[in-house]
Amino acid sequence: MVAFAQSVPGAVLILGGGVPALAGTELGPRMMVFLQSVLSGVLVGGVYALIGIGLTMIFGVMRVTNFAHGELVMLGMYLTWGLFHWLRLDPFLSIVLVAPALFLWGAFLQRAFVNRVLDALPQNQILLTIGLGLVMSNGVMLAFTSDYRILTTSYSSASYDLAGISVSKPLLYAFLVTVAITVLLYGFLLRTDTGQAIRATAQDREAAQLMGINVRWTSMLAFGIGAALAGAAGALISPTYYIFPQVGSAFTLKAFVIVVLGGMGSVVGATLGGVIIGLTESLAAVYIAGGLKDLVVFVLFLALLVFKPSGLLGKTRA
Amino acid sequence: MPTILDIRHVSKFFGGLAANSDVSFSVEQGMIMGLIGPNGAGKTTLFNCITGFYPPSRGDVLFKGVRTNGLQPNQMCHLGMVRTWQKVRPLAKMSVLDNVMVGALARTTRLEVAREVATAQLEVVRLAHKAGAIAGGLPIGERKKLEVARALATRPALLLLDEVMGGLNPAESEEIIQLILELKRSGLTQMVIEHDMKAIMRISDRIVVLNSGEKLAEGEPQQIVNDKAVVAAYLGEEVA
Amino acid sequence: MNRRPPPVLRPRGVAALELVLFAAAVIALWCVPVFVKKPYVLHMGVILFLAVIQGQAWNVVGGYAGQYSVGHAAYFGVGAYTTMMLLELHHIAPWWGLGAAIANGVLLSLIIGTITFRLRGPYFVLASISMAEILRYAFLYYKDLTRGAEGFLLSEIPTLHLFGQEFEFVTKRPFYFVTLGLAAITIVANHLVQHSKLGYYFQAIREDQDAASSLGIGLTLYKSVALAISAAFTALSGGIYAMFVKFIAPDLVFGIDVSVQFVLICIIGGIGTIYGPVIGAMVLVPLSEVLRNPRGLVQVGLASPDSSFVQFVEAHLSNAHLLVYGVLVVVVILFAPDGVLGLLRRAGARLRRRREAQGEAGAAGA
Repeated sequence: MVAFAQSVPGAVLILGGGVPALAGTELGPRMMVFLQSVLSGVLVGGVYALIGIGLTMIFGVMRVTNFAHGELVMLGMYLTWGLFHWLRLDPFLSIVLVAPALFLWGAFLQRAFVNRVLDALPQNQILLTIGLGLVMSNGVMLAFTSDYRILTTSYSSASYDLAGISVSKPLLYAFLVTVAITVLLYGFLLRTDTGQAIRATAQDREAAQLMGINVRWTSMLAFGIGAALAGAAGALISPTYYIFPQVGSAFTLKAFVIVVLGGMGSVVGATLGGVIIGLTESLAAVYIAGGLKDLVVFVLFLALLVFKPSGLLGKTRA
Repeated sequence: MPTILDIRHVSKFFGGLAANSDVSFSVEQGMIMGLIGPNGAGKTTLFNCITGFYPPSRGDVLFKGVRTNGLQPNQMCHLGMVRTWQKVRPLAKMSVLDNVMVGALARTTRLEVAREVATAQLEVVRLAHKAGAIAGGLPIGERKKLEVARALATRPALLLLDEVMGGLNPAESEEIIQLILELKRSGLTQMVIEHDMKAIMRISDRIVVLNSGEKLAEGEPQQIVNDKAVVAAYLGEEVA
Repeated sequence: MNRRPPPVLRPRGVAALELVLFAAAVIALWCVPVFVKKPYVLHMGVILFLAVIQGQAWNVVGGYAGQYSVGHAAYFGVGAYTTMMLLELHHIAPWWGLGAAIANGVLLSLIIGTITFRLRGPYFVLASISMAEILRYAFLYYKDLTRGAEGFLLSEIPTLHLFGQEFEFVTKRPFYFVTLGLAAITIVANHLVQHSKLGYYFQAIREDQDAASSLGIGLTLYKSVALAISAAFTALSGGIYAMFVKFIAPDLVFGIDVSVQFVLICIIGGIGTIYGPVIGAMVLVPLSEVLRNPRGLVQVGLASPDSSFVQFVEAHLSNAHLLVYGVLVVVVILFAPDGVLGLLRRAGARLRRRREAQGEAGAAGA
């Protein structure tokens, strides 16, 4: 923690005055390391944001905390792996198939299970989604065993060189696709009637119902979109992550950190939260220890829960 | 009569909004203090500030001469101050008797003692016949009585009742009024928030009127009825 | 929300009968090893009794006090590691080690309670999970202290000299008696706690924290007491588990599935009841043990070695025994949110009503 605390003030300073100096490439090796980790943090954070946005939408519309969210990411990863393995479909192209498939799966889960516990105690909702997650991860384990799988594309370990900083190609592509999806999603939520309905439901379920919004349909749609985003994220990271049945739980917890960070239910917050978590992990891996990056994330998460439970963008409770 | 509760310049802000601003008054031992005002006047917020659910933003609350700002509700209870809730909060899955026993356990660790106290309190509010029922299944009138019995079981010196007659039919309200008067005769100090004007005028020894978080008037019921400001801000609205 | 409330006032005779039945059950179980020598049965018994202890432990804070911790693996793991490390690194016998395990568990519960008890609802659940995860990552990372993912392998448990007798912990038999005894103690302890001021206060907190607070209940204090009791028994079960299975590693004892299992034991049987965890353990343990190791059925003689069931389970399900957990949770939450006990109670009520209706009909007919 000490090392981390020391690195932070430096970080602010360098970013403040250091960006124009990039062209000059008169940067010391320590600064290169720093910029490198900031960059990869942001790239990974973009994908995290996608996972977080899905979770926050589900929470916003249904007030259900979906503990099976990471398993949806895992399903996306396996689907992408399968498409690549059997059909040689590029993981970034396979999103076109993976996202709709996960959309349908999510809508089904909502209709068949989650919808029945909307009025139940929150702890029962949590347990139900934990159960669904166990079914998904262990179902996949039955089908594919618990072996680690790797999806190796021609560009899996390729990178661009940006003034001495290497930018991983798959991560960069993933980030760009993430940005595109996020822009589309914002457009959908802000500009379309359906998007408005989702936002209205998230704001006040009862009022939305009174205004004639079909809340049940909206909930199904939101769960579907959330699952589709998780699946898309799974597809995007499949070239850079190990693929195994239990990979989901780490993403579930990460997604929660992101969502709580940004304020439960806030899409903008989740976007920001994702990037912050990506950065934290990346910087912690470099400046503290690779094996401790997850631990650091959880410690920060607890600190946040205790001191600012409404999230960074939310109002502090009175 | 000595003062039991002294509220000195209490203000409570939520963000920039003042739910209470500079409210002062005191409650004497043995009296019934009525607290009235239109919706959103800050009555329940004031209760919360007094009973420890919110710390006041400014000002002091003195209970039995001791400054109690910053104390928790459970500490207030042990000092002898207890409240009921406008929206009743029964311990839903527990029996009526167990609900009241939880209150009684504030003064004892022995279950037999608590059971005795609780049974006696249920007699007082005339709910003894429902002792074995599950609290969550009671009709509203009995839930309100349960709230009072449970609060009384903590042996308070000051009882704060938040709209204990809300949602009751006239017969049930009358029963509660009789109960409040009975408790007064036994020497208990009470502070009552109530919307029913007739009831509050009947039972209160003094009345404080809140409007937009500020104290608009204070006096005996007769003075309040004739207070021009009160009539304009509050009673007028009711009449019209 | 229209759950039928359980009957509250029970006649005294029932309590006495309950005590007799409980004692009889314990004595009967105590005699089992005299007749049954098969290690698989004793193994199942030990795991079952441990599950009863774990379920009872979780029930105190989760079921009665209503604080849904999904991070109890923290106490389990700390108990397991304390006992194991004291024995392996410092040659301290487990009967002392278990005491240290309980102490560490309680200490940890005080720390975790201070941090998490300000939170409510999903936030509390998340915080409790995070705590266990932090410990898992820490135990994985600080290899110098914990040996990391490699874990600890038990070498040998020393012989216990007690009352001039020697007790060897080589076979499963002694573990059977120890865990049975502790499970019985846990049940009795829980019963006593729930029929005391503490129990009333725990339930009040579960039902309504604000109301409880206004009635003089210090929320943080009583939640902490509940968690400390719970942590003590969970850590104890962790220590015994480590001695029994003889191998522990961070993912094995701090994993989130461990925490989920504790919750499951209670929710399957019936949350916030004394016998709920017992029933839950009786459902869950045989199921997961059979799936994990179907050869055991062969050993007991319930299945032939070439039975297609055993082969199917071994080939497909033994790696995915958690699948069954998942299905169970979903089914229980959707169809029996009050667990098996809730189902029984509802069936009983239905039967009684039918009988009453029949009685009335009969009376009307006469």
